Amino acid sequence: MNKNYTILIGLAILAALFPVVSSSYITIGLTVLMFAGWASSWNILGGWAGQLSLGHATFVGLGAYFVAIGSTQFGIAPWWAILMGMAVAGILAFFWGKLTFGLRGPYFTLSTIAIAEIIRLIAINEGWLTGCASGVFIDYLPEPFGLDLFDKTVQYYMMLIYAVITIGITIFISTRKFGYQLKAVRDNEEAAMAAGINPTAIKLKAFVLSAMLTALGGGVYGIFLSFIEPHIIFNLLLSVQIALTVIIGGRGTVWGPAVGAALLIIFGEIFRTVFEQANMLVYGILILVVILALPKGIVGEYAQRLIRRKYANRA
Amino acid sequence: MQTVLKADNIKVQYGGVIAVNHVSVSLNEGEVLGLIGPNGAGKSTLFNAITGFTPISEGSVQFFNQDVTNLPAFERTRVGMGRTFQTERPYEDLTVLENVLVAAFLKNPKRKDAERVALSSLEKVGLSDRAHQLSSDLNLARLRRLELAKALALEPKVLFLDEIMAGLNPPALKDMIEFLRSLTATGISIVMVEHIMEAIIELSDHVVVLASGNKIAEGSAKEVISNEKVIEAYLGTD
Repeated sequence: MNKNYTILIGLAILAALFPVVSSSYITIGLTVLMFAGWASSWNILGGWAGQLSLGHATFVGLGAYFVAIGSTQFGIAPWWAILMGMAVAGILAFFWGKLTFGLRGPYFTLSTIAIAEIIRLIAINEGWLTGCASGVFIDYLPEPFGLDLFDKTVQYYMMLIYAVITIGITIFISTRKFGYQLKAVRDNEEAAMAAGINPTAIKLKAFVLSAMLTALGGGVYGIFLSFIEPHIIFNLLLSVQIALTVIIGGRGTVWGPAVGAALLIIFGEIFRTVFEQANMLVYGILILVVILALPKGIVGEYAQRLIRRKYANRA
Repeated sequence: MQTVLKADNIKVQYGGVIAVNHVSVSLNEGEVLGLIGPNGAGKSTLFNAITGFTPISEGSVQFFNQDVTNLPAFERTRVGMGRTFQTERPYEDLTVLENVLVAAFLKNPKRKDAERVALSSLEKVGLSDRAHQLSSDLNLARLRRLELAKALALEPKVLFLDEIMAGLNPPALKDMIEFLRSLTATGISIVMVEHIMEAIIELSDHVVVLASGNKIAEGSAKEVISNEKVIEAYLGTD
């Protein structure tokens, strides 16, 4: 068995013990898990397939809104609403990709910003659905197995399951045909075609999977917020934050997103208390330093050094 | 003997420039077709047109009696065309073995089988000891061999080699010629664009000479190198 699965199980057990040990930092823990999950989902498209998206907040918003509207207007249980949100996210990503995968590099990235912005504006203007600026307030949720979904600890464990699912899927992909097809398309599309790979089809698969998993996390986020406003949840800043998490951690790696999430969230918190007004400045400088010193991200650089060292030792 | 490849009346035009002007070539099973000509003759363009990497404006391509003219490049790979690139195109973030693995997955969806095929391809080109090195750390000569290993791992029916011999020293050249000959013995057919005449003479069953996009001569290697038009195209006239 892949040793990454063992690491994942070990980390999951440690994370499961966290609320027992310390209940005061549970929201930070939850946020780390949430970003680890979103970043891992983003990574499938942005890291493995090399298609840098700055529109993933759209899928977060879809997941959250399906949960919110499902429960307030239709009385649909959140788990069904999340599945519906994932399906819609997948369908949207399919057409989104069909429309924009003809564009390469920065042009694709710009198109993701544009489409996400269109969807944000629709969400703000279609107030009958999204509650306009006043938002949607989730005041009731069912209690499966007697669990109170509004309880922070329950939400923490939901996020833990979410993070484990996304990282687990990444590990699954990483050693298989699909994973290598993604990396081949990212590194050289023409060479990939010469290997019998259809680049557009591979990128579409990556986008759909990435969008669906992001919406899954968005659904849990909706429960966590329980108050959802379109201009906050569909925000470009959230898309940037998700992308940045992976870029810092290591694109196209299994553990990069989780490492990036832990570092950015925890340092963000520390800086907020230590540097007060200057916290965003220090945060920005830290990001700049990491990107300049480690262009492939923390885990990405480490993985490459490991391959070189192993080869040197063998020879 | 079966005709495996028949490119008919191929025309490639970029704006007002005709890069390949109504050229036809064909290839029999287990044989080697050499494409030669001076720089800018349209060899690589014809090669790319046949493998689907350059769109053609006229003509057709038959592969094992199947019309592949309208198939995209990756579909042509799937029906049995395996090509190398003149300028090496490794997947830089992957190791040498993983590079070949990508190709081996085409016919072997299971990792274990794909890895076996990939390792055997590396063995054939003499890169086994480099399997776990990052491909971006390879030197040019080895990158070239990696190109060949990637094409072999596709288990192609016809191998398209774009200047695979360039930059090889004499012993390595000899090895490569021997190796390609052993491939044809197993039934693989080869189309090669090559500048090194020694390789063309040693390997080709049939040679097509291009100059300025036109086919100016064809025949056995011996025939074409004594052809006046060919000498003229290479050396010019007084």
